[in-house]
Amino acid sequence: MTETSILPLAAVLVSAVAMLLIIASYRYPNVREGWSVVAALVKFGIVASMLPGVMDGTTYYWSLSESLGVEFLAGIDFVLRADPLGMLFAMLASFLWIFTSFYAAGYMRGLDEHAQTRFFAAFAASLSTAIGIAFAGNLVTIFIFYELLSLVTYPLVAHNEDNEARIAGRKYLTYTFFGGGVFLLGGTVLVYWLTSSADPAGQAHLAFESGGIEMLAEAAAADPAIAQAAFYLLIAGFGVKAAVMPLHSWLADAMVAPTPVSGLLHAVAVVKSGAFGVARVILEVFGPGLIHDLPLNVPAVGEVGLNVPVAILAAFTLTAASIIAMRKDHLKRRLAFSTTAQLSYIVLGLSMLHPFAIAGALFHIPAHAFGKLTLFFCAGAVHVETHTDYVSEMAGIGKRMPLTMSAFAIGAAGMAGMPLIAGFVSKFYMLIGSGSVGGGYWLFAAALIVSGILNIAYLWPVVYTAFFESEDRHDAKPILEFPPGGKLESYFDSDAVATDGGERSSSDRRADGGEKPDSGQPQPADEQAEESEAKGAGTPTELDEEADDTDDEPEYAVDKYPSDHTVPEDAETHEDHADDHHDHGDHHHGGPPAGGWERHSPFTESTWLMILPISVIAVGAVTLGVIPDYAVFLDLAMYIVEGIFGVDSFDELHGLSLAEAMEVIGE
Amino acid sequence: MIEGAIDILATRYAYALMFVLMGIGMYMMIANENLVKKLIGVNLFQTAIFLFFVAVAYVEGGKAPIVPADSSPGELAMASPLPHVIVLTAIVVGIALTAVGLALIVRIYAEYGTLREDTLREVRADE
Amino acid sequence: MSRLAELLPALLVAAPILLATVPIVLGLRFERTGWSVAAVTTTALFAATAYLAAAVYETGRVVHVLGNWGEPQGIGIELVADEFSVLIALLVTLTAAGVLAYMRVGGPRGNTFYAGYLLLIGGLLGLSLTGDVFNMFVFLEIVGLATYAMIASGDGPESAVAALKYLILGTVGASMYLIGVGFLFMATGALNMQVLGEVIPAVVEEGGSDLTLLRAAFAFIFVGFALKVAQWPLHTWQPDAYQHAPDGVTPVIAALVSTVSAYALGRVMYNVFGPEFLTATPYLTEIVVTVGCVSVLAGSTLAVIQRDVKRMFAYSSVSQFGLVVAAYGLVTQTAFVGAVIHLIGHGVMKAGLFIAAGVIALGYGARTVNEYAGLAKNRPVAAASTGILLIALIGIPPSAGFIGKWYIAVGAVEAELWPVAAVIFLSTMLTLAYAARLLEKMYFTPPTPVESPHPPGRVAADGGEPEAGVETARDGGSLLEGDSIRRGSPDAVSFGMVAILVAIAVAAVLLGFAGGAFFEWLEPFTEEVFTE
Repeated sequence: MTETSILPLAAVLVSAVAMLLIIASYRYPNVREGWSVVAALVKFGIVASMLPGVMDGTTYYWSLSESLGVEFLAGIDFVLRADPLGMLFAMLASFLWIFTSFYAAGYMRGLDEHAQTRFFAAFAASLSTAIGIAFAGNLVTIFIFYELLSLVTYPLVAHNEDNEARIAGRKYLTYTFFGGGVFLLGGTVLVYWLTSSADPAGQAHLAFESGGIEMLAEAAAADPAIAQAAFYLLIAGFGVKAAVMPLHSWLADAMVAPTPVSGLLHAVAVVKSGAFGVARVILEVFGPGLIHDLPLNVPAVGEVGLNVPVAILAAFTLTAASIIAMRKDHLKRRLAFSTTAQLSYIVLGLSMLHPFAIAGALFHIPAHAFGKLTLFFCAGAVHVETHTDYVSEMAGIGKRMPLTMSAFAIGAAGMAGMPLIAGFVSKFYMLIGSGSVGGGYWLFAAALIVSGILNIAYLWPVVYTAFFESEDRHDAKPILEFPPGGKLESYFDSDAVATDGGERSSSDRRADGGEKPDSGQPQPADEQAEESEAKGAGTPTELDEEADDTDDEPEYAVDKYPSDHTVPEDAETHEDHADDHHDHGDHHHGGPPAGGWERHSPFTESTWLMILPISVIAVGAVTLGVIPDYAVFLDLAMYIVEGIFGVDSFDELHGLSLAEAMEVIGE
Repeated sequence: MIEGAIDILATRYAYALMFVLMGIGMYMMIANENLVKKLIGVNLFQTAIFLFFVAVAYVEGGKAPIVPADSSPGELAMASPLPHVIVLTAIVVGIALTAVGLALIVRIYAEYGTLREDTLREVRADE
Repeated sequence: MSRLAELLPALLVAAPILLATVPIVLGLRFERTGWSVAAVTTTALFAATAYLAAAVYETGRVVHVLGNWGEPQGIGIELVADEFSVLIALLVTLTAAGVLAYMRVGGPRGNTFYAGYLLLIGGLLGLSLTGDVFNMFVFLEIVGLATYAMIASGDGPESAVAALKYLILGTVGASMYLIGVGFLFMATGALNMQVLGEVIPAVVEEGGSDLTLLRAAFAFIFVGFALKVAQWPLHTWQPDAYQHAPDGVTPVIAALVSTVSAYALGRVMYNVFGPEFLTATPYLTEIVVTVGCVSVLAGSTLAVIQRDVKRMFAYSSVSQFGLVVAAYGLVTQTAFVGAVIHLIGHGVMKAGLFIAAGVIALGYGARTVNEYAGLAKNRPVAAASTGILLIALIGIPPSAGFIGKWYIAVGAVEAELWPVAAVIFLSTMLTLAYAARLLEKMYFTPPTPVESPHPPGRVAADGGEPEAGVETARDGGSLLEGDSIRRGSPDAVSFGMVAILVAIAVAAVLLGFAGGAFFEWLEPFTEEVFTE
């Protein structure tokens, strides 16, 4: 049952309007942040108001041609449609936005960031486009919002306006537009062509249909090679944002963005839009049946389903990213690789095609979102309060921020899939799914379990060092001790005070900066930044610009504070500015103050604007794990699977093998 | 093959000549460093095209397409008048172009004091 | 069909050319009448074109036979307004009227300039409406002449050099076209497009020496237009011309001159030669498509490495027109529609971008990419409009750039020419490369300190003076002395300039919703061309 309604459009437009209001009220920070909160509440209200209807089988839908008589492209309508799958993502994004908007206000004020208006405006715009992705009713509509999402999140990544941020921004744009403008558009055009040439009336079929587009199935039978190409193009297009290897490297670099961005966008909205897109492609464009049946001829293996290469890539990603995460000392980067791994859980679950695996994967979208958002919020809170970013500097920080680090422990347990936390439920379903399929799929089950252990290996040390170690006695972190990943200074010796920026004279620091222009940190903890810089330098743009910069100001190339160029070159001013640009502040002020961490109670460790969201999200993660049946997301996930397999109740799918499940679709 | 080519040359030598002329104009335009001579090259190139059109219009044994008032045109063998009209128009256009081109050259000379392109390049590179 | 509608095509061409004399005549008595005359004329032309478009929508093509030389067919000159040509005429008149909003304060000034301006508009409208291949040559040259004069109206000596370069190459291009027309006439004995369109399929069927002549004709015509449209490697005149033309002139030239030439190429390819000839001739489509694709790649690559913003946009035009030419070479209905939409969309976007470049040069004193640093903070409106236009140019939906690219891409896939499809998809990334460079400078790079060798006082005094002589002297100065007006004079930017810039940026986005409408509008035309 479909019902024409303005609600999906309203849900998209709320934050677009909020963006304009935010820009208009740039003079009044309180009003500005007020708009964010109001828009978030209204948006969640609109989305939630559609939930009962959607669960009863109604699809709310708004079409540009029907309401305004404008045809977007010949034969293609611009459609927003609230169906169960879209609701899953929309509910998640709009719910989490409410708390993130509080948190963002606290974070940005806590650090006294520059360009806050641009930040909040872009944030609202990205939520608008994320909901657009959720409600997009066909491939072209989702493409529009997917591209717009890349565009509006770019200002957030490049927010710091320093070299590192600009390079990360370039990388971000390159990756996401390659995914969107090349792969996704290519795949969409192929589907357009396939369906319109298969249709007797020449009409293209791009609208999502639960269980796959029928006309596409017909066309694929006639021209399997093109259909396969279209499938992989679409998957690659969405895979870029879902950070599936080898298209993942933008994500870690994008962590230069302020933490609310890393949290909501680069753990929830943006990356999940990729995973969500993969879900749309697998479930509602091609459909599990078609994907399973389209033979892909692999030399030396024989014919396999289209899904298998995707699953293998995802399984590889989740293992490899977990291993990389262990080597990262920078907490946000560690979380970024964790995100890369966790997103591949979703892709893997979807590509296993078994109903249980799909349900698990879909539930993993909210499960991971709650857990990872908690982790990022905690990382951000630690950053705001103590300017500490490196795990090796966090020994004993549990004293300073007890509530934050407890929430972190909950999130970490969720990532690892411990029972009673959200992550467990989704992994459980995925394991059942892979087990039911049997055959070679045990490999995927093994990957899931191994990655769970790896999750513990890279997140537990953070909790451990926070609570069970003290400032003056702690081990080298992280677990895998490599020079690029760990810090020699983290062994306690008399020089350890060198990590403490506050104690050093400014002349020391300047010398330091001079020696290592890429990072003021005594030890460059991450090779990523340098890698990307080296890459950037290879492009003509970069060369040209560097040449130009050098022309303008000879010392520019070695100066790490380009943003300070407007002020006279003076060491003292530099130090003052380091506080404003939190990124630079990091390098100088990380780690415990002399004399160790102050002991704080959970209520005084940070501002309410930050503590409240952290608590709520952490509680949410536990709620999803303890009573998944009563939180809407699992219901929605099962409802989606029922729709795709065409059964009335999820129970009918119990104990089916993959082949049997495919037969269910056929009926 | 060669005979055929010779045959074509013998009967259509006008076209061949026009294209040689066109080539000379083109070469002059590209290779000559003097701006005025370049413009002359352009003119030569255009003139060759005009001649080409005139040659196209020619009908063997035809007269100039001026029809006496008292005879019916069907009986007369005449060159086609249309290309002549075209050429007339094109000549006008060509003159306008030459005028604008010369005006530009005068201005360049006034600004840089040279008519040679290589000198011009040097002068501009210095600035 | 009303009498008026039938008369309009002739009036649209004749009126601006005749009125071009008015500013000169009035100039004998009054100092500054050029702008007003031009404004009134272009607005009236736009209204007339809109009326003509309505007539075409109602009754189909409108033909005006000049001087009643209807018989024998193929000799008399016809002006044809159909779905295709009216669309281009609308673009011409609207842009011509819009850019005047910039010229009002931004210059160039002088009555003779506006005489040239009206001549250019007349030529462009003639080129759009003509139905005769030789007449097309005449209008091509009129457009050329006016363009050379307008580029040379820049005050620096560089502009004269650029104009002469364009004059020589442009003349060669037009002459090549004329040779092609000669061969066409040899093969068919006709010059009227419609007659040619009917005769040529028969010649293709017959084969023989006439077919050889046709092929030669096409070769010459294509090379001629490739020069006029600035396809790589024949594009060399374009960057110089765009860069050195006065800031007020570049938007018109960039948006219209090459666009209308590209339109003419499409008209000749599809209405005169016809899809049958294009597909039947071996290697023809391959060559056309290759020229287009190479231009896309080369143009974008060259755009990325430019320092001067106007030059960067000029190379961007090379690549965008490459897309159009490649789409012509695909010979499918969808690709053709895409080419037309991209012509219009690119015209709108480039007009906007060059107006933005002018506004920023005037108000912020920035001409190179590096000087654009910090623009967003200091001139938020100009920066935002430029940003939107660049984003539209990349082809991010919803925008004029996207719908054109979509149809061209679909056309390439329908033709199953995978390498072409790949180039079209990759062109997004290539456009992104230079667009993002500018975006990053504007939004995420703090401004570099002022290193002006001249005291700002001079600038303020000059910028405030509306006197034509002083104004032009300042323009010349800025060209000669590079960075003399580094932070510009915000007062020199009028409300009209900003308004037209914002209007174009909004239009570029709104056009993104017109994909279906364009397709429908062009359908009668494309159906006729492709079903013959």
